[in-house]
Amino acid sequence: MKLYFLLYFEFFKIGLFSLGGGYATLPFLYHMSEQYHWFSPVELTQMLAISSITPGPVGLNVATYAGFKTAGIIGSIIATSAIMMPSYFMVVMISKMLKKFRNNFFVESALYALRPATAAMIGAVSIRLFKDCAIRSMAFNSFSFAKITSFLDIKAIVLIICLFIFSFYYKKDPLIFLLIGAVAGIIMHIL
Amino acid sequence: MNTSFINIFLVFLKIGCLLLGGGYVIVPLLQSELVDKRKWITKEELIDFYALGQCVPGLIAANTAIFIGYKLRGKTGAIVTLLGLTIPPFLAIILLASILTELAKSTLMNNIFWGVNIAIIILIFLTVKEVWNTSIVDKFTLFVFILMFILSIIGVSPALLIIFAAVLGIVWKKRKEGRR
Repeated sequence: MKLYFLLYFEFFKIGLFSLGGGYATLPFLYHMSEQYHWFSPVELTQMLAISSITPGPVGLNVATYAGFKTAGIIGSIIATSAIMMPSYFMVVMISKMLKKFRNNFFVESALYALRPATAAMIGAVSIRLFKDCAIRSMAFNSFSFAKITSFLDIKAIVLIICLFIFSFYYKKDPLIFLLIGAVAGIIMHIL
Repeated sequence: MNTSFINIFLVFLKIGCLLLGGGYVIVPLLQSELVDKRKWITKEELIDFYALGQCVPGLIAANTAIFIGYKLRGKTGAIVTLLGLTIPPFLAIILLASILTELAKSTLMNNIFWGVNIAIIILIFLTVKEVWNTSIVDKFTLFVFILMFILSIIGVSPALLIIFAAVLGIVWKKRKEGRR
């Protein structure tokens, strides 16, 4: 019983304090692994890899996994709902205010600048993801200027260009893009 | 398609299944499912919700889903979207828990997700193109875009950027009002 409370409390804290989403939860999770030994730091690193092959944000996946490992199904339900709980209450509260103040001067002018800012931030994410994919992490001591292919992932760049051209002709369903990516991933690594 | 709880749940269940490679892909998915196909929300609303979702603590994908759920059907709607979004990732981890470490090492899986991650980059890029049309409407918004893009690339925290942008918008409009 005490474990359940502790699980709830710790993941609630992550939900409450991690601002900025995605990897913002990581420092909290590392700290948690040292304090409670519910999972090891190595397992956490593995979870990052696993998060890229299962759906959902990293924070959610780790909450489910850590809860499951420490206290089974009930533990995973507790941890997952705990990490979501602060979001729920805060968003509902903001939504209520938004309804009331939609035509308020301050809200309107804030949103006027928030829209381009959001576009810019999403754009920056795509650049960062592109960099992670196309440029191999290089060990500088073994780096030679001889071959550009030694640090550029040519296959990734080819696939990006193909998908980009494809997007001019088809833009309806994101699922198609994901499927093409999956199939291309298999084929391009056989070649 | 009407916005009954079951419909909302099913749509978000689908989005939950497709939420691969972290939470970023939620924007193109919501754009396609809610804005284009069903017209439940407008493009502007989606952007507003996503922007606000970044200033609230917690997972951005979940925050965005809660905003939309509340807009569609109030508090219960928000629970429905959250459940729909959470159940697929939750089940995936539970069902695969025992083989997850082997799965992460599998070459086939890694190859598949190598390709999927590249597809996600394109999807996110297409979203930016879409959002561009509705959000960059004058010189000031173009200026905000460029400034935020640079700050974002050099690694300033998203939450800080959002607050900064909101303040910029208010100051700018206030000055314009004052001049009139």
